[in-house]
Amino acid sequence: MSDEPVMATNDDASECKRGAVQLGYWQDNYIPYFVRQIEKRAPEINRGYYARVKGVERFIKTFLKKAGSSSQIVNLGAGFDTLYWRLKDQGVYMSNYVEIDFPTVTARKCYAIKRNKQLLERIHEQDGEVKLSATDLHAGNYHCIGADLRNISQLEMKLQQAEVSFANPTLFIAECVLVYIENDCVNRLLGWIASKFKSALFVNYEMCNMNDTFGDVMLGNLRARGCTLAGISFCKNLETQKSRFISNNWQGAKAWDMVQIYYDLPAAERQRIEKIEFLDEQELLIQLFQHYCICVGWLGTEFADISCNGGD
Amino acid sequence: MAIDLRETFLEAEEFKKLGNDFYKEKKYEDAIDCYTKAIELDSNNAIYLANRAMAYLKTEAYGYALADSSKAIELDPHYLKGYYRRASANLALNKYKESLKDFQTITKLAPKNKVAKEKSKECEKIIRQILFVEAISFDDCKKSVVDDIHLDSIKVEDSYLGPSLPSDGKVTEDFLKSLISWFKDQKPLHKKFAFQIIIEARKLFAGYESLVYVDIPENAVFNICGDTHGQFYDLLHIFEINGYPGPNNLYLFNGDFVDRGSFSYEVIFVLFSLKLLHPEYFFLSRGNHETVSMNRMYGFAGEVKAKGTELMLKLFHETFCCLPLAYVVEKKIFCVHGGLFSEDGVTLDDIRKINRFQEPPESGLMCDLLWSDPMPQNGRSPSKRGVGLHFGPDVTQQFLAHNQLEYIVRSHEVKDNGYEIAHDGKCITVFSAPNYCDQMGNKGAILTVTKNDLSPQFKTFTHVPHPDVKPMAYMNMGTMFEL
Repeated sequence: MSDEPVMATNDDASECKRGAVQLGYWQDNYIPYFVRQIEKRAPEINRGYYARVKGVERFIKTFLKKAGSSSQIVNLGAGFDTLYWRLKDQGVYMSNYVEIDFPTVTARKCYAIKRNKQLLERIHEQDGEVKLSATDLHAGNYHCIGADLRNISQLEMKLQQAEVSFANPTLFIAECVLVYIENDCVNRLLGWIASKFKSALFVNYEMCNMNDTFGDVMLGNLRARGCTLAGISFCKNLETQKSRFISNNWQGAKAWDMVQIYYDLPAAERQRIEKIEFLDEQELLIQLFQHYCICVGWLGTEFADISCNGGD
Repeated sequence: MAIDLRETFLEAEEFKKLGNDFYKEKKYEDAIDCYTKAIELDSNNAIYLANRAMAYLKTEAYGYALADSSKAIELDPHYLKGYYRRASANLALNKYKESLKDFQTITKLAPKNKVAKEKSKECEKIIRQILFVEAISFDDCKKSVVDDIHLDSIKVEDSYLGPSLPSDGKVTEDFLKSLISWFKDQKPLHKKFAFQIIIEARKLFAGYESLVYVDIPENAVFNICGDTHGQFYDLLHIFEINGYPGPNNLYLFNGDFVDRGSFSYEVIFVLFSLKLLHPEYFFLSRGNHETVSMNRMYGFAGEVKAKGTELMLKLFHETFCCLPLAYVVEKKIFCVHGGLFSEDGVTLDDIRKINRFQEPPESGLMCDLLWSDPMPQNGRSPSKRGVGLHFGPDVTQQFLAHNQLEYIVRSHEVKDNGYEIAHDGKCITVFSAPNYCDQMGNKGAILTVTKNDLSPQFKTFTHVPHPDVKPMAYMNMGTMFEL
């Protein structure tokens, strides 16, 4: 069972994000450096990605507000995510930003960064060094590291290379990552984070409510692409999503499906994007929204009062 | 004598000044009065006339403005303002070409006057835009794309081994069989025959009224299918489990043949061919996806451009405009893609009289027909889709009673089980695209009635496999991989 189909999910997600950005759903000046020309996707996909990106963004904003300049972000399975550059543009100061993905993926990311001045100059501090290997890049407070999340000792070593501090409030982001990992590996990962970090918020975007026809069809489609969802049992519903944190010594967890997340975004924004592409009918979109969720877990008490409409 | 003249002149100027003051205060009628008095004292003054013209424009008396400004120009052909006033009056009267002439004069008279030049240029630009739009819309009405297609000059290469039509375009059983098997293998139909099919289908549909009455022959069944949305392999499956169309096995496909699915091209050619083969036994109604705006967004346009040509797409759009909007079976069952109307009292005759040869307007009978959905509560309510409306059981009841019908059959909404009975059996939805978008996991359904028993019988079916078509120029629905 190869990891390649899972790595390919990054390509698909990146292309979808780029397509949506191109149509004006949200702004991302950096994604074109990572993604070439794309084919048109259905309007549901664009709206779905909008909800995903904006939903996760709200939690990021809340975290940064609470944690301040000592904040640390660890983006698991980050793929070609451009969050670092966008935060930099917004003048957000963080103590550390770490992206982790399979070495094959980070190699391509590092290559793209090396090749594009616009990406390089954002991460290159004035007097700082840029440490590059084939799969890793360290520059100032930005770190892109190739690692396998199933290998905790390797991960710990790489995080140390990235100068991760266990004392600083840390945001973990995972967008459709854990679902591809076997349960015991996920448990070990979450348990290890709980044992090391004092104050943390984990934002997990993933499938949920999978025990129905729509879920079956989705699983079938993904399997046909070579993606066995090893962690699918945690995606049964919002409760199982939360339990993944609780049973691994996290203080607490909350979860919302994407219907809630989407309709909690500002009305004016929703109206704006709904005008970009006319949706002929709602069924498919609602189904998609009902089968994805954002689940947050926290360590320490700083983030216990998190809600899905915070951060603005 | 001289003093009189001078006094007259001064008096007139007073009135002009007064008029200008009133004008500034937006008291246009008063301004007109003053200018009129000035003109009475001195009728050869271009300025007074131009000023009054300006005031007339403000009160929308464009005819008077035109007259005054023309006189001003007559009196002083070098007075720029005269031309400006006349240009404005002509613009207001939609006489764009005349307006343009005056702007050209202005630029000629004052070639060094930058402001004049810019103003004129700006106005000229707007006018030319308007004229252009008028010109092309005029053309659209009159010309058919068919005129641009010269079938005789399209050569069929010897290497083409696919299905072919005779020169009279007559579709045979053999042609249909070979077309289906050719398409199943994902092979392309020669453009010449593709064009021929659409052209013949267009002719056929254009001859119908917007509402068509169909009677079921004795010993025959009448099948109604809903949306098929480019799901070619599922369409073939329908015929496999329910029989191909024929004298004893009539079919109505209730719109939305294209978009979403990746094989819309194949679907539409088979449906059109079936219509040409069995015009008395096979019927197609228009859905909201048989339109320019939907096709642009949901895949058909891209698919036709990839498998056919841009011209072919235009031809499809013309042909879609010819599809009837509604069918009445045995005078009792009303079939339409979307649903019922925002007003009471609509008769079958009203529908028959609709001018359907257009893209659906944003409201009205044609729009409602293609876009509405039933709802459980009585009354009407704005549509969740943003077009059309929701209509309740009372609306259905009223429409049926008013037109002596038994029930309506419509499509337009995906249903888990392929069909749904609402409004106490009076409003039935039938949907025939199983596992819609490769995502929904729903069944498809076929509704069947006979002459002697108009109560609906349902057959449901699940989806069948289809080739994994790599996304090309058209919609990528097959890999809703990961959201």
